[in-house]
Amino acid sequence: MNQSKHDPLLNRLKKSRVMFLLLIFIIISGWCYIDGGIETGPYNLVYPSNFGNRIQIPADNPTTKQGVYLGRMLFYETRLSANNTISCGSCHQQDKAFTDGRAFSPGVDAVLTPRNSMSLVNLLWARKFFWDGRANGLEEQAVTPLTSPHEMGQALTVSAQKLTQTVNYPALFKLVYGDDQITGDRIVKAISQFERTLISANSRYDQYLRGAYQPTPDELKGIELFNTAPQPEKGIRGANCSHCHGGPKTYMELFHNNGLDSLPKDAGIETLTGLPADRGRFKVPTLRNIALTTPYMHDGRFKTLEEVVDHYSEHLQQSASLSSFLRGESNEAGGKSLKLLSMEKKQLIAFLNMLTDSTFITNPSFSDPHLISTKNKKH
Amino acid sequence: MKKQFLIACLALLSFTAIPFISQAQTIKISGEVSTPLTVDAAYLQKFTQTTVTRKDRDGKDHTYSGVILSEILKGAGVTLGPELKGENLTKYLLVEAGDGYQVIFALAELDKSFTDRTIILADKIDGAPLAPADGPYRIIVQDEKKPARCIKQVTAMQVHFVK
Repeated sequence: MNQSKHDPLLNRLKKSRVMFLLLIFIIISGWCYIDGGIETGPYNLVYPSNFGNRIQIPADNPTTKQGVYLGRMLFYETRLSANNTISCGSCHQQDKAFTDGRAFSPGVDAVLTPRNSMSLVNLLWARKFFWDGRANGLEEQAVTPLTSPHEMGQALTVSAQKLTQTVNYPALFKLVYGDDQITGDRIVKAISQFERTLISANSRYDQYLRGAYQPTPDELKGIELFNTAPQPEKGIRGANCSHCHGGPKTYMELFHNNGLDSLPKDAGIETLTGLPADRGRFKVPTLRNIALTTPYMHDGRFKTLEEVVDHYSEHLQQSASLSSFLRGESNEAGGKSLKLLSMEKKQLIAFLNMLTDSTFITNPSFSDPHLISTKNKKH
Repeated sequence: MKKQFLIACLALLSFTAIPFISQAQTIKISGEVSTPLTVDAAYLQKFTQTTVTRKDRDGKDHTYSGVILSEILKGAGVTLGPELKGENLTKYLLVEAGDGYQVIFALAELDKSFTDRTIILADKIDGAPLAPADGPYRIIVQDEKKPARCIKQVTAMQVHFVK
């Protein structure tokens, strides 16, 4: 006779065994989420050969998969701000090519930043950061918005302490750095690793350069104007944008006074060097995704690309600091600005719209990971 | 009391006046040099002045005057002349401008025992100081067809080995 089937004690034991197994399963899956779910090893930075290999990765911060994972979590981490409301992603939103659509951005104290939030793209090739180029490298740059009282406004030591008190972060730091110590330096390094992965190389212009897209006639004419210096005496028309925005990346790391004002309110690099030649001199930004990064210029004074093109075509302000390549650059003999025809302006803008990389702004690897995990929790 | 006053004055200066004092542009020479230098107008006056005539973007001939670049580099102890042989031939000069523009010259391009072409660091055009947007210092490369290496607003020069 087998009585075990009806033995209540045995049944209870069986039930508790099931519960125990279930508990083990939950613990293991939780552990996998923290550790096993994250790929580790060197991160393979993929980019087209025409971008060149002059890339900037400091020897003490190699890019790893786990570092990029942590960096992405931190990039979108509001705990890094004094009032837990602002992250890097607040002023650098993916759908706006990592800008925020504002001329100036409010910080934790609601005070506006003095300059326009810059787009984050192809930073792997950048050497000098900020509108005035004062930071040599991403790691140096990232400290400023994190700690500035008018931006995220929190000392790195405080940020490190706050993360130490969380459930997830110590284990993540251990995975990246070998031990679970959280420091400001490690926070900044991980964020920089994530930022180096923000590569945009699939705009229609990239596709055209690799022979995978046939531009419209307007776009082709725009490309030609963009790359041609005007020579009115020879009947050659152009806008010569490529003098400063040239190459497949449309970024050359130059700093110019582009004739916005005769007497600039913001003196730009002159504030750092005291040199009159640096008055109103600012970084020449990348044009990649430019249609998504309105408003334009260091102070966000132009709301549309039409206004920007009009500036170079008609409104250049003369001054002793105006960069030399903009002097007398015109489609009219003796002209002081480009003097483009309205059709040419439209063609140029058709080209600028080719620089929008929709795969970049929708790439799930660059999105807010905290949003994804909250969404998952809701399900 | 005097000391305190002086310190207070200095502190005040460092917060207010310094950013508004106009500086004069200098050129830092660094890298593979035995004596890092900061070149200014007074330093350049110590050298023989040389003139080079070449066309600018306006298509007209201009006379530039300044100092032969290799003479300045010799002053910093760069391996030119008899020392420019062997692995020293893999060295280059990186010239940087205020706008971030950079160009390079192989050391052999600058050395008289390799070439008669004169490359100068100019501070004058047709006898007058260079325009602020071009100067105060500009490299002038004799006879080079494109003016792209006639780099304006020079701020720094570094000598490096090719890695």
